Amino acid sequence: MNASALVSELRALVGERGVVVDPDALMTYNADGCVMDTHAPDVVVLPTTTEQIVAVVKLAAKHGIPLLARGAGTGLSGGATPVRGGIVLVTSRMEKVLEIDRRNNRARVQPGIINFELTAILKAQGYHFAADPSSQKACTVGGNIANNSGGPHCIKYGITGSHVLGVQMVLADGSIFWTNDGTPELPGYDLTGITVGSEGTFCVMTECWIKILPLPEATRVVMALFTDILPAAETVSQVIAGGFLPAALEVMDGGALKAVNDAYKMGIPPEADAALIIEVDGVEDGLDDLLAEIIAIAKEKGAIEVRPAKTPEEQVKVWAARKNAFGAMGRLAPTYHLVDTVVPRTKLPAIMRDVKRIAKETGLSIVNVFHAGDGNLHPIVLFDRTNADQSERAHRAVEEVMRLSLEYGGVISGEHGIGIEKQEFMSQLFTEADLAAMAAVHRALDPDDLFNPGKMFPRKFEANDLASERRRVAEAGAGLPALMAKHGDKLWV
Amino acid sequence: MSDALISSLSAALGAEHCVAGDGDLSFRGTRPDAVVSPGTTEETADVLRLAAAAGAVVVPWGGGTRQRMGGPLSPAGRPVLALRTTRLNRVLDYTPEDMTISVGAGATMAKFAAAIVPNGQMFPVDVALPGRSTVGGALATAADGPRRLGYGTFRDLFLGVTVVEAGGSIAKAGGMTVKNVSGYDMMKLHLGGLGSLGVIVSANFKLLPTPRAAATIACHFDALPGILAMLDALHASKLVPAACELISAEGGEGFGLCLLTDGLPQAVERHKRDVPKIATQTGARDSQILEGEEHAALWARINDLPQAADLAPDELVFRAACLPSEMVATVGNVLAVAKANGATVTFSARALNGVGYFRLRGEPATLGRAWKSLAETMPAASLVSLGAGSPEAAPSPWGRMPGGLDVMRRLKREFDPANVLNPGRFLV
Repeated sequence: MNASALVSELRALVGERGVVVDPDALMTYNADGCVMDTHAPDVVVLPTTTEQIVAVVKLAAKHGIPLLARGAGTGLSGGATPVRGGIVLVTSRMEKVLEIDRRNNRARVQPGIINFELTAILKAQGYHFAADPSSQKACTVGGNIANNSGGPHCIKYGITGSHVLGVQMVLADGSIFWTNDGTPELPGYDLTGITVGSEGTFCVMTECWIKILPLPEATRVVMALFTDILPAAETVSQVIAGGFLPAALEVMDGGALKAVNDAYKMGIPPEADAALIIEVDGVEDGLDDLLAEIIAIAKEKGAIEVRPAKTPEEQVKVWAARKNAFGAMGRLAPTYHLVDTVVPRTKLPAIMRDVKRIAKETGLSIVNVFHAGDGNLHPIVLFDRTNADQSERAHRAVEEVMRLSLEYGGVISGEHGIGIEKQEFMSQLFTEADLAAMAAVHRALDPDDLFNPGKMFPRKFEANDLASERRRVAEAGAGLPALMAKHGDKLWV
Repeated sequence: MSDALISSLSAALGAEHCVAGDGDLSFRGTRPDAVVSPGTTEETADVLRLAAAAGAVVVPWGGGTRQRMGGPLSPAGRPVLALRTTRLNRVLDYTPEDMTISVGAGATMAKFAAAIVPNGQMFPVDVALPGRSTVGGALATAADGPRRLGYGTFRDLFLGVTVVEAGGSIAKAGGMTVKNVSGYDMMKLHLGGLGSLGVIVSANFKLLPTPRAAATIACHFDALPGILAMLDALHASKLVPAACELISAEGGEGFGLCLLTDGLPQAVERHKRDVPKIATQTGARDSQILEGEEHAALWARINDLPQAADLAPDELVFRAACLPSEMVATVGNVLAVAKANGATVTFSARALNGVGYFRLRGEPATLGRAWKSLAETMPAASLVSLGAGSPEAAPSPWGRMPGGLDVMRRLKREFDPANVLNPGRFLV
């Protein structure tokens, strides 16, 4: 199908204003927050209804045009980079909360709603959506679900996947169905669960039932300052091992602290080189005692100052500083690469020491802001991407962090996803058989590799080739042709 | 069953771990031709490889407490191997301070608990018959427990898995960290999959600290409307009970609503103060605080109520799920249908979650009728177990079918093209 015919068909489906073809405008959609690789789409479409999405999917499938669904493009792994061109479907005009069902702790939303706006709407009703990534002011709930992207509160409330009750999904054949509506564990495979975190590689989500939770009766936030990051990390390890269940345990190192202090005028003393943000919540009763115990641990580990944020306003300010730390990095260097890995929680102090060493060896600044309570680190490697030597050193630093995370028994992504950024690292974490099982899921759902192709699986494998090879071996091993000859359809009765 | 298969299995596992014609196990009428007990992941892979080559069917078998779940096995004339996970029962990786664990699928839930409890840790999914139920079986059947209200289910705590797939390929997913988005979340497909996509050989979990204090507030109601009012009031409050279980009262008079509160001692005290007030306001006959042994004994009884291993001949057990707000109506519906069919009911329902387990007893023919009527009318219901005298030719054990059946079929055929794993048992 030629380009102009495609564009006019799309215009017929979603209207003139819902189709972007201007080359300059298309550049806006050539990547997400990961700029390792960029590739402009052939056309961008912004549907406003579920029916339009189904029609666009059918059109793309009919002509074999790759289709990538994206939200705000705040992802950091290249998940929203259209590496094979084609159609980019943007959900930003599908941003409604369709239903809030408080008695069943659920809400039905369109995928393009901004996480922060959803949060504000729910807050007015005394509720919250537990997933609150640092990019929540811009990122969409659809993107949160596609990447299973977490945030600071996973430690108590669990990962985003635990807060997704059901999705309405469109497959390449244009079929559309709900996986669930919040009824606990329907019979059958958990298609909601496999879709969360699948990075848009086998379906497009058109609506979602998310779990919403009543706001806790009481919340306490404290920021403890340390002269070094190691005692902060050790405090985290001890709090976890001590059987506390805080709502958040977040660490910022000196570099991050300086950046946010400059931006937010927080009056952080110059000797402070790390901050630990501790949040506890629940019923009012006992909360202060719990916090006092955690503060005692921080002091024992050498905290030089402990700043309670008593009022909701003060708490919002502490969290704003933490969540906007990435934005504040722009003050420190022209480019940064934010690494997202996870290690078992006792390994945090060790890997923090390593990150310091890596910074020294590569001669680059590495700043740390991370979800310490979950062992989810985010070293931010600062560099100038126009400088080839710096870029090369930055790349080395990132690889070294990834390698060490695996060596410590960790994994290559905690909440940002694989996308293109980490697809080559998949082979270091998984065997070919592990990957083939994932490829089998992919082929069952998206047999023609229509959705977001070229992602997640290492480049040397096409997901569907891997699945085909796997199936050939399985069928041969099972003697399937002979079995079919002998038992026929009875095999499947 | 071919002698060649038996001898190659014996060679792979040792003759003592491969027993032909074992008379003890049965899958709703079908007896396995051989029972094999691999001792390692690799031996499990050998079993699946040899089974594939010989065209045999494999039924994973843990503690055998929920083997009557799902449809009848349909081996289509092929030999049937029961794969016992008993020997895959070790704790494989556990650093207490990380609060994660990797454990073999054949470990019982009690053994799993025994490994972590001394370290002040807990795994809050309270599976029925913990001394017999295995980790792998609990996962494959997506067992849940009353404390899902406060702590979630396996779905929230299942961090990683190793499975052996049809044909003998060993595949792992996830890891040993509490957050992980590296690749597809394969754990979700095996959870509740009845071993139809692979045999779970080990699983990794997130652990939680044992609460410092715990107590029960047991409220007694004469009728369901009061319970609905109390549930609404609890839901609207800022209280955070870890469990809220609606149970049939012993002796059949009225209903119990049992709240489990745990956590900080002060928070527990708060629940002990506030919950009885709500109960009184909503018309409870009385409420009682249970602590210590009484508290533990009550929850042990509630946890075991859905057990599906030891049934009277005239008994069936099913699970019904609905939106939380529909739970009381669902209970009312089951009671009415049971009464109309002359059956008696005992039950335990996660009242603020929307899941209930019901035990019906009555004449086999009327039980079958009652089940059919319930399965057709409830949002979601599935048979967990049938007593020996129950109608084997029960209608579909799955109740109303979910969306996405086509996709589920494609998944099954992709993973298990020859339908070797538990054929007929799962809904696709």
